[in-house]
Amino acid sequence: MISFRVDGRSGVPPYLQVVRQVRQALRMGVLNVGDQLPSVREVVAAVAINPNTVLKAYRDLEREGLVEARSGQGTFVRALPPGPPPGTHSRLGHSLARWVREAREAGLDEESMESLLRITLRAADAADSESEEIA
Amino acid sequence: MSAAIDTHELTKRYRRVSALTDCTVTVPEGRVSALVGPNGAGKTTLLRILAGLASQTAGTASVLGGPPRQDPAFLAEVGFLAQEIPLYRRFTSEDHIRIGAHLNPSWDAALVRTRLAELRIPLDQRVGTLSGGQRAQVALTLTLAKRPRLLLLDEPVAALDPLARRNFLATLTAAVADAAGGLTVVLSSHLVIDLERVCDHLILLAGSQVQVSGDIDTLLAEHKILVGPRKDTAPIERAHQVVHTVTTARQSTLLVRLKGPVIDPAYQAEDVTLEEMVLGYMGADEAPAGKQLTTVGEES
Amino acid sequence: MTWLVWRQYRAQGAIASVLLAVAAAVILADGFHIASQWHSIVVRCAGNSACLQQDGPLVNGVVSDVPYLSLLVPVVLGMLWGAPLVAHELEARTSDFAWTQSVTRTRWLTAKAGWLLLAAAACGGVLAALTTWWSGPINAISASAFAPGQFDTQGIVPIGYAVFAMALGIAAGTVARRTLPAIAVTLGGFIALRLVISNFLRPHYIAAVTTYYNVTGSFMPRGQAWVLSQGAVSRAGVTVAAGWGDLYPALPASCQKLLPAAGGGKGASLTAVFSCMKAHGWRGFVTYQPSYRYWPFQGIETGIYVLLAAALIGVTFLIVRRRDA
Repeated sequence: MISFRVDGRSGVPPYLQVVRQVRQALRMGVLNVGDQLPSVREVVAAVAINPNTVLKAYRDLEREGLVEARSGQGTFVRALPPGPPPGTHSRLGHSLARWVREAREAGLDEESMESLLRITLRAADAADSESEEIA
Repeated sequence: MSAAIDTHELTKRYRRVSALTDCTVTVPEGRVSALVGPNGAGKTTLLRILAGLASQTAGTASVLGGPPRQDPAFLAEVGFLAQEIPLYRRFTSEDHIRIGAHLNPSWDAALVRTRLAELRIPLDQRVGTLSGGQRAQVALTLTLAKRPRLLLLDEPVAALDPLARRNFLATLTAAVADAAGGLTVVLSSHLVIDLERVCDHLILLAGSQVQVSGDIDTLLAEHKILVGPRKDTAPIERAHQVVHTVTTARQSTLLVRLKGPVIDPAYQAEDVTLEEMVLGYMGADEAPAGKQLTTVGEES
Repeated sequence: MTWLVWRQYRAQGAIASVLLAVAAAVILADGFHIASQWHSIVVRCAGNSACLQQDGPLVNGVVSDVPYLSLLVPVVLGMLWGAPLVAHELEARTSDFAWTQSVTRTRWLTAKAGWLLLAAAACGGVLAALTTWWSGPINAISASAFAPGQFDTQGIVPIGYAVFAMALGIAAGTVARRTLPAIAVTLGGFIALRLVISNFLRPHYIAAVTTYYNVTGSFMPRGQAWVLSQGAVSRAGVTVAAGWGDLYPALPASCQKLLPAAGGGKGASLTAVFSCMKAHGWRGFVTYQPSYRYWPFQGIETGIYVLLAAALIGVTFLIVRRRDA
């Protein structure tokens, strides 16, 4: 059974942390198709977060098609998250190396590159969640 | 969704001091609301008025559809936990369970006994000899046992160690989960980190007035930190509500509540955390909003 | 609510019951002892009232302070139980717990104050009954049933005092919000009111009776009446209290001459003075409360204290209901 960790200081909204931890568990094989996710109450009693946070996370996962809620029984894993198709990693790695060269030539050091990456990731997350809420 | 709490220009004056001034807030049902503010801002006063332990000087308060009143039906639906954890020190937890059973029409004694057993708090020990965390748990569980629709908690975790705090909040959130939207909570606290994981609504009091209130997600979306070179901030102030400004020799950092998109390209708009937003409003209260605090420092 | 009151006061109630039982046992034992002494004196004197008056005070019990219990217990109860009733709950903030359960403050106060007032009345009644019984011999030989120390420790007035002291304690605690000042106010207020009422109000509950009599004779009210004042009054209406100091200057010169130069006199010369006074139209008078007014006075005084208690309790309810907790 998966147990969650919510880091109040990470800057990532709690519900998103839950979503990511479920996806990670699926990728690593801790959760398999057909397994039951802990109930909202179980999560909340263990981790002391708002129940709506868990509900929102489970809804997001349901919309992604990873889990399904069976009324009266709980939430169950439906599918594993799609992995990257073969060759993606190497293709992305090459374009990343190109970007790093470009950034170095422009004068960025490693720290600036990392901070730029972090900001971009966060902005992308926010844009994702905003568009999902509107949807 | 109806409002569990709806106040309009609620004011409480003691002789010459105003403890609450023109407070207008709405807490929808099912929310866990964080009541935040510096000491003396009026948090305890507000909670006590909503619970019916004090009465306002002016303004109206509607709690669960009516004014706070001394009426068994109202008292049964509203649970209040004061800061000092008021329990009869010479009585045991079991005594308190019996008292609750006698004084409340719907009383879930089994809930208390089960929960205290889970926490390994003995029922036959005098409450005055329990630790602070244990006492807080006993008091919270007793308040939950009457199955209220609204829970008002005044700094319940202030004096607790981190583990006791976590256990307390776990009990609280489990109760909210069990109630499936039927329980509304207003919880005052200093510790913003705890609040962000547990609460989805915010009421910020400073200087006896409500500075900002609303759903946390909405508020965080509406507020941004604008960072840019130090220059005239008047256009920004015209376009948006500037809550707080920090200025160095070369840079301005503004906490802003957006009234539209940010057009000025000189400014970089960043998301704000709950703590930053709360501190921005509380800092702004000490000086007029938007006043520039010059600090000696390098440009970053 | 009743259960809560019992749970909060069961220890104190047990202690009080034990103390009351011990006091009762002591009083009973002592009372029987006195009663048997008195019985033998009655037999010996065989109806001779002079003999009774002389030997009666020889009766003594082991405990002569029994009436003091009747005086002290009401105010002690008011101080120890009444004053903390509301004040302690406010000081300890347990009112925040009690007043957010599903009982209104009115119901809470009704139960707590109601039981305490009942307990006070019961204690007062038991002690009054015991003291009345114990005082039998003393009552038989005493000159006035209205004597302080006798009137206010027997009958039903101790019940009134007890209920009043409890109500005063409760009200003081409610107003002061703190126990210690309330205890002080209860003690002071009780003593002050008792003094004022017994000294200034009690003589006037019912208009006193004044009887005029022939100054050469004598008159004493029957039974154990309460003599308020006595003396002589002239035809013109000049009133002089008994005692030669005031009387002498008021007499007409012809009567003054009849007094021995030393200012006091043997029976023979006094008779001459009295005859002279009678000739000048002087009469004797006694203003008193007749003995048959004993129970009406008991009733009136008890009623006064009960009314005061009711007013204090009424104020308490108002404050508890309206004021911020």
